[in-house]
Amino acid sequence: MNMSPGHWVRVVFLFLAVAVSLLSPAFSVAHAVLLESSPALKSSVSGPDVPLKLRFNVRIDAARSRLTLVDPEGTLQTLKIQGQDGPDTLSSAAKGLRPGTYRLRWQVLASDGHITRGEIPFTVVKS
Amino acid sequence: MARLLQIFGFLSVLLRGASLTFQSLTVGGVVFLCIILRKSSESFAEINASCLSWLRRFAMVLAAMQISYLVANSLILMESAQISLAEVSGANFVLAGALGIAASLTIVVLSTHPRAGSAGELLLPAAVILASSVLTSHAMARLEYRLLLVFATALHQLATAAWLGGLPFLLVAIRRASSPELARKLSARFSRLAVVSVAILASAGVILSFSYVGSLKAIYGTSYGAMVSTKAILFGLLLFLGALNFQLVRQREASSILASLKRFGEAEIGIGITVILVAASLTSLPPAVDLLQDRVPASEVFARMTPRLPGFSSPAMKDLPEDIYAAQKMAFEVGSLSTESFVPGQSGTRLNTPAEKAWSEYNHHWAGIIVLSVGLLALLAQAGKISWARNWPLLFLGLSVFLFLRSDPEVWPLGPNGFWVTFADPEVLVHRIFAGLVIALAVFEWRVQTGRASSNVRLVFPMLVAVSGALLLTHSHSLGNIKEEVLAELSHIPLAVLAVMAGWSRWLELRLPAENHTRAWLARLWPVCITLIGVFLLNYREM
Repeated sequence: MNMSPGHWVRVVFLFLAVAVSLLSPAFSVAHAVLLESSPALKSSVSGPDVPLKLRFNVRIDAARSRLTLVDPEGTLQTLKIQGQDGPDTLSSAAKGLRPGTYRLRWQVLASDGHITRGEIPFTVVKS
Repeated sequence: MARLLQIFGFLSVLLRGASLTFQSLTVGGVVFLCIILRKSSESFAEINASCLSWLRRFAMVLAAMQISYLVANSLILMESAQISLAEVSGANFVLAGALGIAASLTIVVLSTHPRAGSAGELLLPAAVILASSVLTSHAMARLEYRLLLVFATALHQLATAAWLGGLPFLLVAIRRASSPELARKLSARFSRLAVVSVAILASAGVILSFSYVGSLKAIYGTSYGAMVSTKAILFGLLLFLGALNFQLVRQREASSILASLKRFGEAEIGIGITVILVAASLTSLPPAVDLLQDRVPASEVFARMTPRLPGFSSPAMKDLPEDIYAAQKMAFEVGSLSTESFVPGQSGTRLNTPAEKAWSEYNHHWAGIIVLSVGLLALLAQAGKISWARNWPLLFLGLSVFLFLRSDPEVWPLGPNGFWVTFADPEVLVHRIFAGLVIALAVFEWRVQTGRASSNVRLVFPMLVAVSGALLLTHSHSLGNIKEEVLAELSHIPLAVLAVMAGWSRWLELRLPAENHTRAWLARLWPVCITLIGVFLLNYREM
């Protein structure tokens, strides 16, 4: 089949649009970043009851966000999110924790639809 | 399930980029119909019909992308947060997405059955598409100055659409115009719209940059700042082309400028799509103002970029981590990752070992030798001094084999991970596609240079070079502000910008009519850009 130059131009433009839009791995849509947390990353806190608070750089949809605690044995426990002090924070509480190393896993939905997750390792010591 | 999440995560990312591109084309088309073709008369009938037909296609693709994105993102959320469809359906991004889809489909319907003088009816759905996009932008999630940022984002996206999204419609209009005079008139109208759009785009861009970048140090010290600077450089290139167009429209006779106008328009569309993709990749990064730790100081940037003799000794395979994926997973498990935030499907970012860095530098330096040779031979070939120099594209075959073998040492054929891993890891997949593209580039351009190919095939080389540049600009980013990541990004940006320039200057050299004098220096520009890419690659460092 003989293609006219005009047709070729359309083909290469379509290639550009599709290739560049569909091949780039960079559009990892996410930008809720954890700014600070309590307990802080790799910190030690007194047990057995530990209040949890996470602050992000953007507004968070708390109803569609999740906090999970991984205990020293690796058992997962979903934590109840207790409302928001501000639009950028998530609060919860972990009760009855024995001394040991825990990990707080978080997943948040930012107001702009981007999902981000992360993990905060911390240690519980006897009070 | 993790693999499924990874695939969906990757898919949603791709769809987001495609949605932004087609959003600009759709909204740009509506603006073109309403402003440039505003006084409907007989002479516009054919142009109108043609533009409406393109608008319908763009809006259909946009709706398809929006639907797919919504489905993918909802599935990720349902699966990763273990929540029901009913809960997901109340999320802001679902409501905004539904609005956008309805508006896109409305444009499809209205442009399929247009009534005389009904272009204005398209404005409302176009505004809704913009609103739906702004509702899922950085601005909506900000804590401070939200209203101002929402307003600036809306203006920024509208102006981008009016200018860059309107360009393809200008090309359609010029092609369909009944006389050169009419084509010139439409081009002059578009030029005025473009000037206003550029002013709005730049003003809103400055406001957004101040809010999201915050300081001069963040421009070079963070990925976000570096990408904003890249956008500004590409914007400068577009302005330069726009100025050439503007001059043509004002100074020359209508019949002599149309071919040049169309060709400049093509390059503007290509660079424009690249800018939109850079913008899309910015939405994946946290704004620089939010990342105050681990910024790269000027002294480190300077030290990394200072010219030094390239090294050509590679570490042995046994010095690399046995299984890079396992190392990554382990780093995550023990909490030694340097970032605490990542997206579902990603496993976080691990710092490369010295051996991995040396491996990568070796790759870049050899690639530099090949690309530098290509650039210099192409310069000689263009000058017509040495006849065998025109075989320069064959050097790319060596580059392709080199890339295939050494880009991802953990994967087949060198590493323990099998061939199919190629398709599961986006980064490996992109590297492999690159190697394939380089072979295509070598074969096509060698046939062109040695007179074996038809004239149409000439466009493959500039297109592939430009696409490679665009891909490099949207290469993977990290959510955290890891210094190494930023420094790597700063090293890649000049390569990408030079590739975009090389691709489009070669394109224009081939496409501009013989009487356009710009061709002469464009013919020298692209080999110089390729030579410079070689020089930058030779100075590439990760340590």
